[in-house]
Amino acid sequence: MPSAIRQAPPTGNGITKFTNCRLVVGDSLVDGDLWVSCLTGKILRSQATFYDEHVLPGETIDLGGRILSPGMIECQLNGAFGFNFSTLLEDMSQYGKKLMEVNRQIVATGVTSYIPTVTSQTSELYRKVVPFLGPSGGLRQSSDGAESLGAHVEGPFLNPTKNGVHNRNVLVEAHSFKDLEEMYGPENLTPTPSSEGNPATPIPIKMITAAPERGNMASLIPEICSRGIIYSIGHSEATYEEASAAVEKGATMITHLFNAMRPLHHRNPGIFGVLGQAESLPRPYFGVISDGIHLHPTTVKIAYNSHPDGFILVTDAMHLVGLPDGAYRWTNGDEENFIVKKGAVLLLENSETIAGSSSTLVECVNNFLQWSGASIPQALKAVTATPAAMLGIQGTKGTLEAGGDADLVVFSEEKNDDGTPRIVVDEVWKFGARVFLNQGPFS
Amino acid sequence: MRLIIRDKPEAASAYVANYIIDRIKHFAPTPAHPFVLGLPTGSSPLGVYRILVEKYKAGEISFENVVTFNMDEYIGIPRDHPESYHSFMWKHFFSHVNIHPNNVNILNGNAPNLEAECVEYEAKIKRVGGIDLFLAGIGEDGHIAFNEPGSSLASRTRVKTLAYDTILANSRFFGNDLDKVPKMALTVGVQTVLEAREVVVIILGARKALALQRCIEQGVNHMWTLSSLQLHPHPMIVCDEDATLELQVKTVKYFKSIEQVALAQGFEQILSSKVRTGPGPETVVQHPREAVNGNGGDDSPTVLSPQPTTSRLLRASSPAREYPVRSSHSPDVGGSDDLVPDRMASRIPEPGLAQRLTPTPEAQSRVGAVGA
Repeated sequence: MPSAIRQAPPTGNGITKFTNCRLVVGDSLVDGDLWVSCLTGKILRSQATFYDEHVLPGETIDLGGRILSPGMIECQLNGAFGFNFSTLLEDMSQYGKKLMEVNRQIVATGVTSYIPTVTSQTSELYRKVVPFLGPSGGLRQSSDGAESLGAHVEGPFLNPTKNGVHNRNVLVEAHSFKDLEEMYGPENLTPTPSSEGNPATPIPIKMITAAPERGNMASLIPEICSRGIIYSIGHSEATYEEASAAVEKGATMITHLFNAMRPLHHRNPGIFGVLGQAESLPRPYFGVISDGIHLHPTTVKIAYNSHPDGFILVTDAMHLVGLPDGAYRWTNGDEENFIVKKGAVLLLENSETIAGSSSTLVECVNNFLQWSGASIPQALKAVTATPAAMLGIQGTKGTLEAGGDADLVVFSEEKNDDGTPRIVVDEVWKFGARVFLNQGPFS
Repeated sequence: MRLIIRDKPEAASAYVANYIIDRIKHFAPTPAHPFVLGLPTGSSPLGVYRILVEKYKAGEISFENVVTFNMDEYIGIPRDHPESYHSFMWKHFFSHVNIHPNNVNILNGNAPNLEAECVEYEAKIKRVGGIDLFLAGIGEDGHIAFNEPGSSLASRTRVKTLAYDTILANSRFFGNDLDKVPKMALTVGVQTVLEAREVVVIILGARKALALQRCIEQGVNHMWTLSSLQLHPHPMIVCDEDATLELQVKTVKYFKSIEQVALAQGFEQILSSKVRTGPGPETVVQHPREAVNGNGGDDSPTVLSPQPTTSRLLRASSPAREYPVRSSHSPDVGGSDDLVPDRMASRIPEPGLAQRLTPTPEAQSRVGAVGA
């Protein structure tokens, strides 16, 4: 049975050496060793540690040729293990507690950091919820589990015709940046400078998904980006021209490509069209839900081949991920629905509307491996290095380079019946300490 | 000289690796009595390191009580530059075995005072009791460490300017840009190598064939610094078939026959037990400070330093206090190794020859005197 270990006891000097590993470096697996420290929580420059500090690792772990990958980064997660991030609780002090539980449970799935996503909601909910969802890794505590890299507000400046399961009643237009501040709360869009006794805190919001064609949104993109917030095109009717203009103004991401947007048309390629290089604009990153429900396998493959370096696998998982099958009550703003979970499929009750997914990120990676013929490091790049680059944290997350955070996953490699590879999470390390060990089915 | 010839480079590397492992095992090193190993960099020893790492991982050898001294390091590139010898050693050897960083010694090419760094390096080697086995490779011009052609055979650890040939050869590691190749290096001297109790050289490939020929079949010559090995009491060269291309057939056959006969007779070409086990812990570790601070170490045991006869031969002007001098013809000269003028005529009991045939023998000997 898999078990979550809260914190590995620190041994010796806190330095762990992984040996006999296949390291995920770029698009390949490289034989090598990796040194990490649970004191700094970082990946060490082993040579300098040896020659300068004159120390040897306190612990050496022989991976026996298994894969050592940076921890996975999830860019679209609406909740997990029964807790929906877009929830107002009567006692909001419980919100932080529940979030912490989610963080500790989700780390066991190999997701070491993520962007908690809040769907289209009222201003009240954003203002109350977003402060909890800001970057949470400041203390570098491995026992805290997965780390938020900042909140993703998916809405409410979306196009009502592409609302998906978002509540259409809360969707609005923005005409000035003030509208954004009034919606999310100005404190959620501005970094708090350090004051007496309190260090500066980063902006809670890391990413905004909005439809560029609505209101004045396109002209607000530069202001959003100037604050270090990522503007992502999504839930949009944008034409190719509108999408290109948004990219020109600074949009660097597309939220769940193909879903909640116009399909590719050969005379107007729509949002997907910006992945071509016709306008010689930088191509944005894009999220792809490879849960087997949202997109056809071939569509995923086309998306990957159109721009492999921008390809990010996301789950868009609902809070039901990790729970057993059944019908679950779902409060979406002022609406109340039931969602039926059957395996990884989530449907609105009595409809064929996809209500998000309940796949885990490693399941999405395995789907992609099976469909695309991509190599394991190529697939892992889509949940490590690429999302880190999209978020502008490529030196610290999603890398095995020295100086990066020691968020790691040990994968073993298995084969599907059709001979394609599949990976299994064996161990998860956060800030240089082991937080999960899959002890195997027979232990 | 032991010359071991193997058909393939892998076999030659395996021979050297196994030889080193065998030496360390027989030595039975302890923290107080470590095995001191001199190490080279370059392409020739790569196979040796690979096999040593394999054997370590297979649990056949431990480097826990092994102290290492590297031959050389570039000046003017960062220590962790991918082409530095610190990086080479880390990548190919140290990161894979259980050697403790405190036991690793590599010259610091970025030391503020390079001269002091070199002096301290020599002193460090002395403090641990000298090097038990110095593994070496050679350049195409027969250089050992960075002792380029023309280096003094009596040289010690010092700053060395690299030969143009070496810079050219190394430029392939620096993007073929001659300007990026370091022009200077710190290196142990020929004498430092020769003072090791044993020197093992691995020479692989046809490109090194001329160097091997010069060093084995020709005389001692500072233009082929490896030839100084001829003066060492326990040298061993291990090479592949290609490296023997320039040797005479009879030389190759001779050395091969030595090995075969030795095997057939059931003995190996091994060292005396004293050399194999090195100085005992009593003489080295318990009095390291006295040995170092003793101003010349007149009273220190003679085994503190390795004892090749070469140092005496090479430094004719300096009295060889460290080593006893053997001379059957002039026992009266005692500890001095200065040459004493001797006339053949004086040994012949023929009174007629007592008269000098050459009126000024002093002038004659000056002609024959060797310059410094």
